[in-house]
Amino acid sequence: MSPLIKHRTKHRITRRQSLTLIGATLAAMMLPTAPLLANTGGMRQKTFAGTDKKLPVIGMGTWRTFNVGRDSTLLDARTEVVKAFFEHGGGLVDSSPMYGSAPDVMGYALQALGTPESLFAAEKVWSPAGGSAREQVTELKERWKVEHFDLVQVHNLTDWREHLSTLQEMKAEGTLRHVGITTSHGRRHSEIEQIMTSEDIDFVQLTYNITHREAENRLLPLAEERGIGVIANRPYDGGSLIKNLKRRDAPLPEWAKAECGCDTWADFLLKFIVSHPAITCAIPATTQVEHLRENMRAGHTPMPSPNARQRMAAYIESL
Amino acid sequence: MNEWTSYQLQDFIPFTAEVYFRLLERMSETFWPLHLLTLALGVATLVLALRHRTRIACLLPAPLWAFVAVAFFIQRYAELNWAGGYVGYAFIAQAMLLVVMALTGWGIDKASRRTSLPVVMGTAITLFGLIIMPLMAPLSGGSWYQAEVFGIHANPTAVTTLGLVLIMLRGFALWIAVIIPALWLVVSGLTLQVLDSSGATVLFAVLAIALVGLVWKSIESRR
Repeated sequence: MSPLIKHRTKHRITRRQSLTLIGATLAAMMLPTAPLLANTGGMRQKTFAGTDKKLPVIGMGTWRTFNVGRDSTLLDARTEVVKAFFEHGGGLVDSSPMYGSAPDVMGYALQALGTPESLFAAEKVWSPAGGSAREQVTELKERWKVEHFDLVQVHNLTDWREHLSTLQEMKAEGTLRHVGITTSHGRRHSEIEQIMTSEDIDFVQLTYNITHREAENRLLPLAEERGIGVIANRPYDGGSLIKNLKRRDAPLPEWAKAECGCDTWADFLLKFIVSHPAITCAIPATTQVEHLRENMRAGHTPMPSPNARQRMAAYIESL
Repeated sequence: MNEWTSYQLQDFIPFTAEVYFRLLERMSETFWPLHLLTLALGVATLVLALRHRTRIACLLPAPLWAFVAVAFFIQRYAELNWAGGYVGYAFIAQAMLLVVMALTGWGIDKASRRTSLPVVMGTAITLFGLIIMPLMAPLSGGSWYQAEVFGIHANPTAVTTLGLVLIMLRGFALWIAVIIPALWLVVSGLTLQVLDSSGATVLFAVLAIALVGLVWKSIESRR
């Protein structure tokens, strides 16, 4: 018998201690579970693109929010947002040459903070930005101050045949890790479907939120079937969803708190998105650390079941 | 889904209200106390315009348009919006147009300034651009650095110039001289609307008054 087992056998539990333990266990079971899980559970992660690699389900977008130019006050404020993002277990940050100075702002933040191991840097190539896909990627790496991108996507399908072919060559050479395509606002879904079917891509980025669910019909099932990762943009529909809910003073339903730990509207809207089996991550954008923390909490378990998701969508429709 | 109908105005504004108002502050922080000189030039231009010293009155605002083109649009606004550089070139074109008008006397209105309603409207718009616009931000709870000033920021420069050309010019030259200021005010008004700023209503109101003045003056000069 090992010394450890010997030690344990010396401390037999008395009947009184057993009753106390059972009582304590029952009391603990009656406590609300969500806050405990939110405080102790980690960010949920999902595998992507047919690999065994995992990404945290809440990423971060930079459209509008990170375009601050050379304003030192705002550069420091956005650095705080990036810092909080990684402190809360964040991974994917998505930007584009179309987003003004956003790539430079990411470079400023990464230079100040160091490049976190969990960073999954996602960029895009966009024809109006000028230059070939290779030139754009080289320039964007300098702006981000990173050695490589984990993902480069063709922004809004502009010249996608030419760009995708170059990006695939770069992936084969090992100069970038994954390739993808993007759309938003439900545009050009039939063309997206065609590319997902015929091309070898790792990610597709599209608009998916509780009021814009067109992707559920064909694109999300296709992504699951083909092992393509899905990034959900506009999770708050450009901010209007959450603004409208707050303006109406709409009550957060009690069942959502009990069933899937939704303490805020951010929880409700983001958990709905990332609980879809085909969605790899959602990319809410914010300028404020407090909102970032709310977003990140939504990536923690528990997540809504398929039935709860239907109930969530019906509730929003009823408002 | 039709691709173009899915676009909204906000899809074309790539920055937040916070960033826009900080841009105005940064201009003030960088160039104060140049504001005093540009305001003095604006008042001098109005006095000269009302006293029929029209050529010099056309010349004075020209360097201010060039300054706003470079310092506001090309050096700062273009960092946030790639279209900012093109607006900067349009502002330089307006500066050159004012210089050409000053040198050639093209379109100068020699009629009396006293009896004309468009002149009254032009004077009111000019005074609004010079005096009221700088006070709007501080009076609505913003900082003094957010005060928009003629010759430093784009909106009061366009508004004041719109008023001045309504006083000084006539005919085809008047319509040519209002194109760039008016187009910028439309763009700026739409931008402020997306940013949920009440400044949008102010700019559209100024544009509407200026348009009435323009049409009135055109009809008046045909009689």
